[in-house]
Amino acid sequence: MPKLDEIDRTLETESKGKRLISPAVAALVPVVVFAVGVHIYSNELLLTYMAIYIALAQGINIIYGFTGYLPFGYFGFFGVGAYASGLAMLDYNVPPVLAVVIGGVAAALVGALLLPLFRLRGAYFAIGTLAASEAIYAIVSNPSLQSITNGPYGLNLAAYYSSGTAYGTAIALAAIAILAASYVRSSKFGLTLKAIRDDSYSASMSGVNVPRQRFYAWLIAAAIAGMGGSIFGWSTSVFYPQAVFDSSLSVLAIVFALFGGVGTVWGPTVGTVVLYAIYNAIGVSNPQYFQLIYGLVIVLLVLFAPRGLAGLRQIKSRRATTVGAKND
Amino acid sequence: MRKKTFSVLTAAFGLALAACGSSASSSTASNSSSSLPPAPSQITVGTTYSGSGSFATSSIPELDGLKFWIKYENAKGGVYVGAYKKRIPVKLVAYNDLSSATTAATQYNQLLTQDKVNIFVSDFGSVLTAPAVSLAEAHKVVLFDQSGTGIPFFSPQNKYIVLADLPVSSIWPNVLAKFLISKQIKNLAVLYGTNDFDASQATTLKTILAQNGINISYYQGVPSSTTSFGTLLQTIAQSKPDALLEFGYAANDAPFLQNVQSSGMHFKMVFTVFPGQLLGLFQQQVGTAGLSYTYTYGTNFYVNYPTVSEGLNSSQFATQFAAAFPGELNSLSLDGYNTGLVIQASLKYAKSLSQSDIRAGAAAASGHLNTVDGSFVLNSEGAQTGELLPVAQLFPSGSGVTLKAVYPASQATGSAVYPAPVG
Repeated sequence: MPKLDEIDRTLETESKGKRLISPAVAALVPVVVFAVGVHIYSNELLLTYMAIYIALAQGINIIYGFTGYLPFGYFGFFGVGAYASGLAMLDYNVPPVLAVVIGGVAAALVGALLLPLFRLRGAYFAIGTLAASEAIYAIVSNPSLQSITNGPYGLNLAAYYSSGTAYGTAIALAAIAILAASYVRSSKFGLTLKAIRDDSYSASMSGVNVPRQRFYAWLIAAAIAGMGGSIFGWSTSVFYPQAVFDSSLSVLAIVFALFGGVGTVWGPTVGTVVLYAIYNAIGVSNPQYFQLIYGLVIVLLVLFAPRGLAGLRQIKSRRATTVGAKND
Repeated sequence: MRKKTFSVLTAAFGLALAACGSSASSSTASNSSSSLPPAPSQITVGTTYSGSGSFATSSIPELDGLKFWIKYENAKGGVYVGAYKKRIPVKLVAYNDLSSATTAATQYNQLLTQDKVNIFVSDFGSVLTAPAVSLAEAHKVVLFDQSGTGIPFFSPQNKYIVLADLPVSSIWPNVLAKFLISKQIKNLAVLYGTNDFDASQATTLKTILAQNGINISYYQGVPSSTTSFGTLLQTIAQSKPDALLEFGYAANDAPFLQNVQSSGMHFKMVFTVFPGQLLGLFQQQVGTAGLSYTYTYGTNFYVNYPTVSEGLNSSQFATQFAAAFPGELNSLSLDGYNTGLVIQASLKYAKSLSQSDIRAGAAAASGHLNTVDGSFVLNSEGAQTGELLPVAQLFPSGSGVTLKAVYPASQATGSAVYPAPVG
């Protein structure tokens, strides 16, 4: 008969193994699907955007799913990333992949500047981020800054256009974002974030450095959006400020994350793939009924799956447990 | 954990790069060859349109114009293709981009990679045309740019773009500037949207006026989403300008004119961009009093072209379009129809249906094509330079307003009333 400490050790090893395998699978599956998918469905740009949206949904997952702060102005980081990387390419001839990293760093820096927004909570925080992003958009597109940002005339990155490399980078970003969400979910850091989300005062009383932990999550989310924007700008190659500082980017990323289920690793990925595929399928097959059908889909999902797909799964597993318990 | 993560990342990059290896080389281009392939059973025209959103009021009429061209040509058996010396039926594939550049981009790629269209047409305006520019270039497919007049699209390197209907935005105000100089207007206020289309017009105007010693006392860019101008008008009124010019999209111009009217202020001259293109819509939204004696660009819709080298003349177009698409007939529906005529001329002159030959066909048509939209002249970068927009003024007429070109004299159908009468 095994001793208790041996059982503990075995369980710990198994749990550790699961913790390692699960994120790896969560990141690898989309990578494989995207790598193979482009050979089946050759609208590479659509798949590029889908990968970018997965990253954005995971970014929303990290900041909203784990801390409870919903940033409606998430698109601001996206735009900052697009512009920072675009200008790095145009002004300093930085290679595009490195420029994507620069876009992420720039967005994180802007995220640091916007830190005082965390004095707000709930709807005030959401509106505050929206206002901040609109302000950044107004600054970037201001004709007075034409010598720096090219003002309202947008950026032309046609000289750096490489659809294949941009696609590969988008897939890699999606994988990185999924791994980041996995890390947050399974780490001590994630636990502190959840504690902040549930009750920041109690978390603080328990020794959690609330502002610092929240700041880290905010920076990670901002950097992901910045890199997403960089790849978007690179793959679109000619864009205007209003295309990258577009509030519908935030709306879609939030909807995708909520549909899949925030606070989980798989949820935002599955949510993005399903909803973005539906979004584009309707746009292609029934363009005249686009908004009607898509709106109905969203309404039905909200009515019958308010916690997203992950919520449905949890309900199903709870029912199975209840039935099992009754049978016992 | 770190080792596992590293290996996952390595695998991710490896697979991602493997994915891009083959896709990067994918292209729908077909090069011209000495022996002509068999004629296709149909010519597919692919485009996107804004079924809703901020560009819908401009995009839908343009699509209707294009549909009208297709319907008209198909009634004759299709569009004439010079390389095959016969008519080939035309099929339209149109996706709804909801005025979103992101959605438009994926749909443009859908048209190129899945539908493999023969003729690639962009949606209305520069914002929605922008994503199509690089895609067309990368796939080596000619982009028939309807009304995306943005400067960044045209460069010596890009050989796959043809601006079909309007001149590049930077030359739009050339005639307007001459009009202001001729009226000896010395003090101007200029308000413009901070987007490529509007800012480039404002910049051109400012440059020309500065060269002629004319002062712009108020020169202000505002976000393209601006629809409330009350406070701005108060500020502008303090500088007592001889002319107030607002460069915006239709969604800005209409509230601007409404705000001018409701403020009770009077300016000697008020200019906006879009009433000349969407007069019916502005008549509904702003009303006769708000539009009377204001100025706008006089598009070719208001010019009578009795003889044309391709398509219908002005009166034929007005009659037949109204019969086919009852409702609003405006200059943007004429633009959509004219896009079809430019495609038609390009196909007529093209030696094959390869994209490079279609582009060469457009170049061959340049300077020889006179349509209901005026002369079609392309520069070496694919930008349209054939049309110069006259200055027009709106005069009260019965229960509505009538648009008359007032400058230059060679195109004038009426005389400018300056300063505008009070009340």
